[in-house]
Amino acid sequence: MTPKHPRDVTRREFVETTAAATTAIALPHAPSIGRGAPKTIRIALIGCGGRGTGAVKDCLTSSENIELVALGDLFPDHLAKCRESLATMATEDPTLKPKIKVKDSQCFVGFDAYRKVLEGNTDLVLLATPPAFRARHLAAAIDAGKHVFMEKPVAVDPQGVHAVMGCAELAAQKGLAIVAGTQRRHDAGYRAAMERIHDGAIGDLVAAEVYWNQGGLWMKPREPSWSDAEWQIRNWLYFTWLSGDHIVEQHIHNIDVANWAFGAHPVKAIAVGGRQRRTDPAYGHIFDHFAVEFEYPNGARLRSMCRQQDGTASRVGERFVGTRGTSDGHAVIEGAAPWSWDPQAPKVNPYVQEHADLIASIRAGRPLNEGRQVAESTLTAIMGREAAYTGQEVAWDELLNCQQDLVPTEVQFGPMPVPPVAMPGQTILARSWRSA
Amino acid sequence: MATNLTLAPLLAAWAGSARCQAAARPVPYRDSIPPTLVTFEMVPVPGGTVTLDSPAGPRVVAVGPFWIGKTEVTWDEYDVWVYRLDVAAGAPGGPDSADATARPSRPYGAPDRGFGHQGYPALAMTYPAARAYCAWLSARTGRHYGLPTDAQWTRALELGLGTDTTLSAERRDALAWHAGNAAHKAHAVASKRADALGVYDLLGNVAEWVTVPDGPPVVRGGSWADPAARVGPRARAAQTSAWNETDPQFPKSRWWLADAPFVGFRIVLLTP
Repeated sequence: MTPKHPRDVTRREFVETTAAATTAIALPHAPSIGRGAPKTIRIALIGCGGRGTGAVKDCLTSSENIELVALGDLFPDHLAKCRESLATMATEDPTLKPKIKVKDSQCFVGFDAYRKVLEGNTDLVLLATPPAFRARHLAAAIDAGKHVFMEKPVAVDPQGVHAVMGCAELAAQKGLAIVAGTQRRHDAGYRAAMERIHDGAIGDLVAAEVYWNQGGLWMKPREPSWSDAEWQIRNWLYFTWLSGDHIVEQHIHNIDVANWAFGAHPVKAIAVGGRQRRTDPAYGHIFDHFAVEFEYPNGARLRSMCRQQDGTASRVGERFVGTRGTSDGHAVIEGAAPWSWDPQAPKVNPYVQEHADLIASIRAGRPLNEGRQVAESTLTAIMGREAAYTGQEVAWDELLNCQQDLVPTEVQFGPMPVPPVAMPGQTILARSWRSA
Repeated sequence: MATNLTLAPLLAAWAGSARCQAAARPVPYRDSIPPTLVTFEMVPVPGGTVTLDSPAGPRVVAVGPFWIGKTEVTWDEYDVWVYRLDVAAGAPGGPDSADATARPSRPYGAPDRGFGHQGYPALAMTYPAARAYCAWLSARTGRHYGLPTDAQWTRALELGLGTDTTLSAERRDALAWHAGNAAHKAHAVASKRADALGVYDLLGNVAEWVTVPDGPPVVRGGSWADPAARVGPRARAAQTSAWNETDPQFPKSRWWLADAPFVGFRIVLLTP
């Protein structure tokens, strides 16, 4: 095929991305436009782990007239620890103290905690549970008329991706914002580099490489009182139905940057991967390494590599190759139009900036909606996973239309077998929790 | 790096009587982290006095003799601790164990920031992490390793620089990685010239944690991220919130500093 300019292929997405980017520039603590203080935005957190609690801090730090009023988590101990952390947060940063207004009556635990949180008087909910639950929580939140910040990834299977795409459309109709935790999209360095790449600073994109290679992560040894399901959920990283596997859970960050640069999602993938080093059953059934070749509509290839193996070389980042130069996507462009990010330039923590942009967009009445974009990046990562799991070339449309649903309709504490480790050449796309 | 160094002379000195010990002239030695093959070298520093900057004005402090790490602690050493490489796989506390006693959390992302790993300085650890490493290393080796005090670090630097403590641009470039020559990254330890004591990178590369007896800890010497003018004998910095701003978790890590890839440390041996 004749490679086309990437922007020709996906002009619609590109224009949308750019429009969102230009409307969303906002700095924390920037004075609000208009008379008087803006209406207070009441927020709630669903999923009270370390990242959720951190997201609360980022959100409260990002803007004025924000209040945290409700919390929900599956586990009472998570909720209690979160409340302790909020007390610490208020002590460490007195400016946050008046923004934390959580009453005992607005703290909920259990599988239906999110429903109780959503019944409350809130404007914005932060969704930070393990990814398995994201799609259903998002659907409930949009149904309840809430603006949403949601952590990545936003689904673990094509069924979840469909749901998130539907929610994104519905949110647009209802005037609700959706911002996702792919914080590089709100990082000043990445934005500056991407603007130049999209303006042709490295010519036409012909290839790219993305990496997230690191050691292993935390694991919680099973306690006797835990059922199968509780053990899996507390160790959610290591079960595909909960995390999507590490290519989806972690490497999505870099894959998302590639989709951003290309202004498109890939059309197909081939991959290798396996479970080589981290083989103890305490680590569930996920892989510990993947290497994927994605192909974009213009024929350009993206090489992706991710690994979680102790004692191996680390690398986290991206590299883009164009007809006139190369870029790391965030700090350096080499070639015909060299550029580098000034390390002394002021830069807001992107984890705070994403909330500042979200809040500003809500207040401006032009809510950001990153739902489809992050759903596409999630499915891209799933496509890489499935190419490795099945050993087959996997096409985007084939994946989007396959019958794969990994998350039980009704998750409960109790017996839950661990699915077998995927076996290339044997594992098939059409998998369901029902047959596990 | 020097070869033929062994622990034998030191052990002989320690094993002897107090008279023998007093008579033994301190010598450099190489220690190892059993049961791994990882080694590191220590260089003796004679005692003396140093003058420290303090909020109340210059203060003269006496420093006894000690040994200081010839290089900044490298990932080769630090990884043994972080990844439990000193404990057999499958054993309690082994690499797959969740026993969390005084070991860091798993680093998120690339702890070396892509600068380089083997032979490169470990970096972005918190002060408590650097202290805990020393406690672990002491338990592993049976020798009392610790972080330098501000005064010990200063003593080593002053002896290393010699009587002429002025740092011309040429001399600084020969001794130290700083923002003007480091190309935005930390470099392999001992890739600049050794000082008069035979110690590398006290100035520049990674700024080094030291203990301050009556105040918060600081890092000394400046780093690869500091402009040349801020890499020198008086360079001293206390941790700010910016050093761990982008850790997205709360509570933030007690072990790793998300935004301080310019911080590292070296060890000292106190009394045998």
